[in-house]
This record gives sequence, C-alpha cells and structure tokens, in this order.
Amino acid sequence: SLHIIFINVQKIVCFDDYFTTSQHTGHVIVQELEILKPQKIELSCIISDIPNNPTHIIGYWKKNGNEIENSKQTVYKVDKQRFIFKRIFNIQVNDLGNYSCIFSYLDKQEQVTFLLKVPVMKDKRDKPIVSYVGDSVVLDCKIKRMPNTWQWYKSNGTEKVLINATADPMNYKILLEKNVTKLTVLNLTEEDAGKYICSAVFEIKSSESHVYLKVLSLIEPLKPFIGITIEVVILVTLILLYERYGRSRNDSSVDDSSGTDGRRTRQRNLVH
Amino acid sequence: MPSTTVTSLGYTPPDGGWGWAVVFGSFLSIGFSYAFPKSLTIYFKEVQEYFSVSYSEIAWVSSIMLATMYAGGPVSSILVNRYGSRPVVMVGGLMVGVAMVAASFGTTIMHLYICVGVIGGLGLAFNLQPALTIIGKYFLVKRPMANGLAMAGSPVLLFTLAPLNQFLLDNFGWRGSFFILGAIVLNCCVAGALMRPITITAKPPANQSGGDDDGAVGKTDPQAVRLIDGKQRPERAGCLARVNKLIDLSLFKHRGYLIYLVGNVVMFFGFFAPVVFLAPYAKHQGTDEYSAACLLSIFALVDMVARPGTGLVSNTRWIRPRIQYFFSFSVAYNGACHLVCPLLPGYTGLVVYAVFFGLAFGMVCALLFEVLMDLVGAQRFSSAVGLATIIECGPVLLGPPISGKSCIILRFTSTQSSKVNNLIFHTTVHHLHFTTQRSLETCHANGCVLWTPSPLGALVDIFMDYKYMYFACGVMMLVPGLFLFIMNFFNYRWLKQEEHEKKREELPMGSARELATMEETKDSEQNIKLNQEKQLTDSDNKEP
Repeated sequence: SLHIIFINVQKIVCFDDYFTTSQHTGHVIVQELEILKPQKIELSCIISDIPNNPTHIIGYWKKNGNEIENSKQTVYKVDKQRFIFKRIFNIQVNDLGNYSCIFSYLDKQEQVTFLLKVPVMKDKRDKPIVSYVGDSVVLDCKIKRMPNTWQWYKSNGTEKVLINATADPMNYKILLEKNVTKLTVLNLTEEDAGKYICSAVFEIKSSESHVYLKVLSLIEPLKPFIGITIEVVILVTLILLYERYGRSRNDSSVDDSSGTDGRRTRQRNLVH
Repeated sequence: MPSTTVTSLGYTPPDGGWGWAVVFGSFLSIGFSYAFPKSLTIYFKEVQEYFSVSYSEIAWVSSIMLATMYAGGPVSSILVNRYGSRPVVMVGGLMVGVAMVAASFGTTIMHLYICVGVIGGLGLAFNLQPALTIIGKYFLVKRPMANGLAMAGSPVLLFTLAPLNQFLLDNFGWRGSFFILGAIVLNCCVAGALMRPITITAKPPANQSGGDDDGAVGKTDPQAVRLIDGKQRPERAGCLARVNKLIDLSLFKHRGYLIYLVGNVVMFFGFFAPVVFLAPYAKHQGTDEYSAACLLSIFALVDMVARPGTGLVSNTRWIRPRIQYFFSFSVAYNGACHLVCPLLPGYTGLVVYAVFFGLAFGMVCALLFEVLMDLVGAQRFSSAVGLATIIECGPVLLGPPISGKSCIILRFTSTQSSKVNNLIFHTTVHHLHFTTQRSLETCHANGCVLWTPSPLGALVDIFMDYKYMYFACGVMMLVPGLFLFIMNFFNYRWLKQEEHEKKREELPMGSARELATMEETKDSEQNIKLNQEKQLTDSDNKEP
C-alpha cells in the first residue's frame, strides 16, 4: 500500500523558530507548525511505494485551498523508490495559513496539509473569575513558547483598550515572566468587570486569549448565608421544642396515675 | 462481650426509637468531619493565585485542619465525658461556622492557617468524637448497623459537598464561598440538637423493686456501679488521678486496646495509597482520563453502599460475637485485593478491582470504630477514640515535609464532558483521608499533586512501576490483618480464662460477699422506705 512520508526541512534561517506536531485522521495527513518569526521554510512531501510503480508523478501546491500559480511540477523518482516533492516558502505575517502538497497518480489524489500558525493558548476559559468590590484579583495567561512580550487589553464592546500598568499603578500591576503573565487588578469596582484579553506578542504575529471577570458586591453571598442560617435556627428550635413537648407529655401522662408514683419517677428521672 | 458492656454502661440502651434520629445526626457530623477538609481543596488553586504562594503552602491549610481534628480528639473526649455529646457538637458546629466566616475576610495565608486550620479543625474534632460516642450510648444490639450507617456519612457528604463547592466557587469566588460554607457547616448544630442526652434506667440491685416495670431509676455514678458490682477501687491521689478522671488513661493497660492500636498503626501505612494511585495507575495502563475518573466513581459508590451493608452483616448473630475476626478479615481482604491488582489485565480488570476494593474499604471504615466499642465498651469509648486519634495525628503534620521529595504530579485536564467525573475524581481521591492523614493529596482544577510517605512514593519513583507499590500495600494490609486475627484469637481465649477464674474466685468468697450485699440492700431498702415515708408526709402536708 501507499506510504507517505513528509519531512519539514530545516531552518534556512535559524533554529527554534518553529515547532511541529503531526496528526493522522484517516487518510488526511495534517502537520502543525508553530511559527514564531518570519522565515523561509521548505515544505517537502516524500512519497514511496506507489502501486504500479510509475516513473513520474505530477504534483502541485495549494495555499488556503487555492492553487498556487505555476506550482505544478513533474516529479521524478529519486533512488528508484521515492518521490520527493518540495518547495520553499517565504513566510511573512500574511503568509500564515494552510499549505497543501497534492499529487496524483493513476486516478487518485493524495494530499498532505501543513498548518502554519502562531502558538495558540489552548486552555478553555469559559468560566468567569469572580471577585468582590474593593478586593483585588489576579488574571493569568500561559503559553508554551516564549513570546517577545505580553500585552493586556480590556474589551469595551468591540474595542480593545490597552492596559498600561506604569501609567496607572494604583489599579493595575502586570507581571511578565517568560511563558506566564499575570495582571493584578486592584481596588475593584463594578466597572472593572468584563472581558480581559492577554496578547502574546511574537515577531511574526500576536496570539490572543481572553478571560472574563465578574465583580460582585458584598451583599451577594450574604443572601444565601442568611437563608441557610435561618434554616438552621428554625430546625434547631423545632427539634428542641419537640423534645420539650415530648418530655412534658411524658410527665403529664404519669401525673394521671397515682400522685406519689408520679412524683417518684419525676424525682428519679435524671439526665446523663 | 455484650455482658461486660452492659455492666460498664449501667443501663440498657434503647436500640431504636429516637436512636435512629441520633444516627442521622451522627451521619451528618461524621460526614462533615471527614468530607469537609477534603472538599476544601477545590478552592486551593484560586486561593494560591490570590495570595501568590506556592502549592505546598496552601496544602498546609488542609493538613493543619486534619491534624488539629485528630489532635483535638482527647480534648473532645474530655468535654464529652463531662458535658455529654450535644453541647460539644453544637459548640463544634458554631466554631467551624465562625472560623469559615472569619477566613473569608482573610488577608494573609497565616489568617487561613489559623481560622480554617486550627479553629476549624478543632470544631470538627468536637463533631467527630461525640458523634461516635453517642451511638454507643443509644445502641447495643443494633450497634454495628448504627455504626455502619453513621460512617456512610463520609462518602455521601463528600459526594454532595464536592459539586456544591464547585458551584459556589464558580458563582461567588473563594471568599463568598467560604462565607456561605460557614452557614452550611452550621448544620452540624442541627445534628447536635438531634443528639438528645439519654435518660438512663439503671438495673436495680438485687431484691430491690420487684414491682416496678422499668426498674429503679438512678444516676450511673461510677461509685454506684461499683457498689452494685461488689468491687472496690482504691483511691488514687494527685495529678494522675485528676487526669484519669477527665480521660481514662488506664486504657493503655487494656490488652485489646493495645492490639487494636498496633494493628491500626501498621494498617494505615498501606490503607489509603491505593485509592490515590488508582487513577494514575489506570492511566499508566493506557486508559483515558474519563475512564480513570469513572473507576474512582465506581469505587466511591461501592464504598457508600458497603458501609451500611457491612453494618447489617456484622449485626447478625453469626458475626456479632466474632466481630474482631470480621474486622481482621476485612483488613486482610484489603491486602489480598492489592496483591491481586497488578495481575488483573486491562480496563475490565481495573473495574473489578475497583469494585472489590470499594467493598473492602467500606468494610474497614464501617467496622473501625465498632470494634473499638466492642473492645473497650461504650463507657470508655470516648477516651479510647480520643487517645487513638492523637497517636494517629503525628504523621499528618510530618507527612508533607518528609514526603515532599517523593512527589508525583498527575496532569488531569478537565474537559466539558468529564466535568462531573472530574469532581468525583477530586472528591474520591480525597477520600483517602481516612482516619490518618499520612499522605496529603490536593487537587486543583488542572492537576493533582500527591505527597505520599517516602516509602510508597519512592517505590513508584524508583521503579516507575506501580505494581511494587501495590505489592507493598498488599503486604502492609495483610500483615496487620493476620496479626489482628491471631492476637484476637488469643485475646478471646484469655478473656474466657479470666472470666472462669473470676467465677472460681467468687465461689469461696461468695458467702462473705452475699452477706455484704444483703446488708447493703437492706440499708438501701431502708433508705428508700424512709424517703417514701418522707414523701408521703410531704404530700400530705402539701395537699390542701
């Protein structure tokens, strides 16, 4: 059967500028590359073991689903077994996307896709962080690769407002620490609630993630607290009243019998 | 066994009626005591970030709480001996409530250590001991059943508190949640209100009131009981005597109690680690996180059912007289489960293991205090359990520093679909904080950090294979199981021998003793007659 091996050829620029992971789902082969800097990358697809052993195959490249002009090539066999189909791409800011090498043999077509993108912060942040008026809160962001710097924004509807901690040290503190950043918002008010965006700035592009902040007044937790306390007090009173009622009923029922007996049992009923 | 406990109690326990309400109260108290510290760990990640402290510092909160809960055992026992269960439980509930409310306004981590750790832990200690003690006062015949039901409070409350805590955290943040938890924990006062002090009916001394239906009623003064038994105890002067009045230190001379202590101390080394390692072992075998969490849920559910079930079984007339053997069997059965675990193949093998282990765990938990009650009797149980817990408390404080080096980090990322199981994982993994906290493990939303005593953690570290840890745990449970079995066999024999000797002693002395008792009963009869006459004259005077 058909074996497709693909290798991303190295850095024409320098090391640690991209990182790759690959996954196979059924017959579609996808490889992810995390690009940190603008650079030239050679993407190559190596094909071997094609049935019927043709002498050559025809392949072309696609970018984001559209065929790249003049990319069609006839590929000849290398060392009697494999076809190597490669191309060098100059990746700048606008060049990030999906690149695919497609080749056909007989009536079939095979495709390998390379996803070129900035590192992504994958942790889901659907739950808001809750804090209280007058208190402070720490919002954090983590990413696997080290960015050049971090930036924090507060979202007002559709706009993003940059948070400048040096200009406003009474309210904001930003901690930058390689792969982690922490934004401390002090002296919270209800207007501080909303969506905060952390941006990891790489040379090629920025990668963003967001976190929601909810600011509550101090009355909010007070309501369930009072409710539960009242329930406890009511239950305790009921139980103690029931006990007293039960005891007085016992005494009164004994009183109905002869007087001396009643007094005797009451005298001797001691509690341990 | 039963006959000695009756004379030591001095009255017949009701074995029903209001007793079941007391069982429910104990269910709540025990549940809060065990489940509350574990369920607090859900807040740790947020609190850690808020105070910018390291993970081990925040883990100390839970550690201190558990340690204080155990160290407070003797204090609790003294108070129960003096004032009875009800006031102590209610004060305990109030203490924890106030502590949590105070903690919600905390500004430093030290604030949390003191409020949640020390005061909260002490309040929980005031809940645990009285809850266990009062079961012994209300039940005798059905006591194993009552104990099993009450101990089931721990898993049930853990199951309830964990999702509840997550809900509170999502909606109110950690401060609001602590505030509301302060109110929730006040329900311990409700449990305390249910623990009605018992009105006792003492067995009448010979020949006294044949006519009365429920017998003469009187105070079970220790001196009165001694007179009835015909024994005399010499007076002990000084400091020791005062301490002895508060808490019964003569327990350390009690053979059965010593056997129990030794067996338990060894057992706890290997008791909880398998629970902690169940999920990581499953993942090591290749199962996904969701299925691993399911294993723990299965374990927890089986545990929940096993506890009352064991209570029911140990109440039968075949098991009850031999309950010590049953306990040693369940300890050994735990060990057998662990030894077999590495041999079971695949995920189905793990499920089978989880079921059997859940059963074993529940059995030991349900019987743990029942056998202690059986050994020392309900009257001394309060002191016994206090002294036992303080011995088990040392390792709690020593655990984290010693085992800090053998630390295993599990990555457990929560996804939407496994959210519920994630919670159950958190709660059931914390379930291992059983009665000794030699290992402390805290979970936060994205991972579990384990501190285990160096031997166990080191075993996994060194060999990178869990099966050695399971073998070690298996052995550490089998050995005390066998030890308890053998020692209790001898203990039963020695007790029987002692009873025979006592009876033989009583025969020649019998005549002298009979005379003495007859004199005493005559005196007391005369006293009662005098009282009756006095009452009659009083009533005559009072009647118009």
